[in-house]
Amino acid sequence: MKGTVPLVKAHETALYGSKAVGLGQAIRDGLPVPPGFALSGAIVEAVAAGNDRAIKQVAKTARPLGGPLAVRSSAVDEDGAEASFAGQHLTLLNVPSSEHLGAALSEIWWSANSDSAISYRQRVGLFTRPSVGVVVQALLDPESAGVMFTRNPINGADERMIEASWGLGEAVVAGQVIPDSYRIHRSGEVLQRTPGFKKIAIRTLPEGGTFEQEVPPELVEQLCLDDGQLAELNGLADRCEQIYGPARDIEWAFADGKLHLLQCRAVTRSGS
Amino acid sequence: MTGAPVDALQRVPLFADLNQREVKQIARLFKQRTFPAGETVVQEGSGGAAFYVIESGEATVFVAGKEYSTLGPGDYFGEIALIDEGARLATITATSELGCYGVTFWDFRPLVESNGVIGWKLLQSLARMYREARAG
Repeated sequence: MKGTVPLVKAHETALYGSKAVGLGQAIRDGLPVPPGFALSGAIVEAVAAGNDRAIKQVAKTARPLGGPLAVRSSAVDEDGAEASFAGQHLTLLNVPSSEHLGAALSEIWWSANSDSAISYRQRVGLFTRPSVGVVVQALLDPESAGVMFTRNPINGADERMIEASWGLGEAVVAGQVIPDSYRIHRSGEVLQRTPGFKKIAIRTLPEGGTFEQEVPPELVEQLCLDDGQLAELNGLADRCEQIYGPARDIEWAFADGKLHLLQCRAVTRSGS
Repeated sequence: MTGAPVDALQRVPLFADLNQREVKQIARLFKQRTFPAGETVVQEGSGGAAFYVIESGEATVFVAGKEYSTLGPGDYFGEIALIDEGARLATITATSELGCYGVTFWDFRPLVESNGVIGWKLLQSLARMYREARAG
């Protein structure tokens, strides 16, 4: 059965979804994306239907990544210009190993076929059958992570806007902390750095899943990015804009001292 | 391959007029789904997407915020949503880990559209259920 390729070979959005193809393109362009695989909507569906051959195939495919794994939905029409499925389709962080992938893919398939997802699709005028591809990557254990807009999404100013916190970036994305915020001119000049109030960090559990770890008091209001890391992020913003065009919405993480790109997509709303 | 148990589906009034071969065709469309304890399985008033048969565990049904009944293995809910995608009439919450077989209308509709015999029998079942509901 076809339907599993290394991310670098994910070309067809209709098979693998926009997230997988976007990350594949990023790897092909030399951006620092963690290694992984793209699974087609068809193989995800087969796994959810209990097809033994498909279950074995995805487990075998992901085995070289070791564990734990980050398993993210990549719906075929996800992150499109007219409808964003952010929050509708599931992302499972810290799936312990490739042997647990079948259950994770079933959960993701159902997230795209849940009552709320179907209601949402109808609200935004989508009446086609949902198809959800998946991205499987080695899960990072970041020191810090967050999001970055390569242009100010509120007033369109030509500056990077960064939000950062300790641990996995889900704390920022889900609004569980007040993140540090930074504004950087594209020349690299730091225009503003404001410490947040980061009482928790999301960390991985050995048996799978994540938990909220209390941040030591001295780090709660300490900036989690230094000047060198801000320069690296500015460089990443430059490269993403050169490759994909202006106004990008980026998810990133620093793990083992290295910057990783987790997602790069067009900003869906801008005040400019 | 999985799929729902045929005998469980034969107890569903909507499928009462179908023969075993026809029920088997429907059973093959089902996928397993597990809800953790405490999770809201369906929400009253929200659009319905799937029909579920409970394989294991227990769930509580709430209507207008009041506890209405308890569901267990072999029980089912949401079958009318397969046809009209209408709003859920109750909230159902998993009281323990709930193992279900589910089918979405995306998968159900093509089978009915391509099989007029099944479609007609479902229509007859719906007509009977309608008469029973009117008779109170």
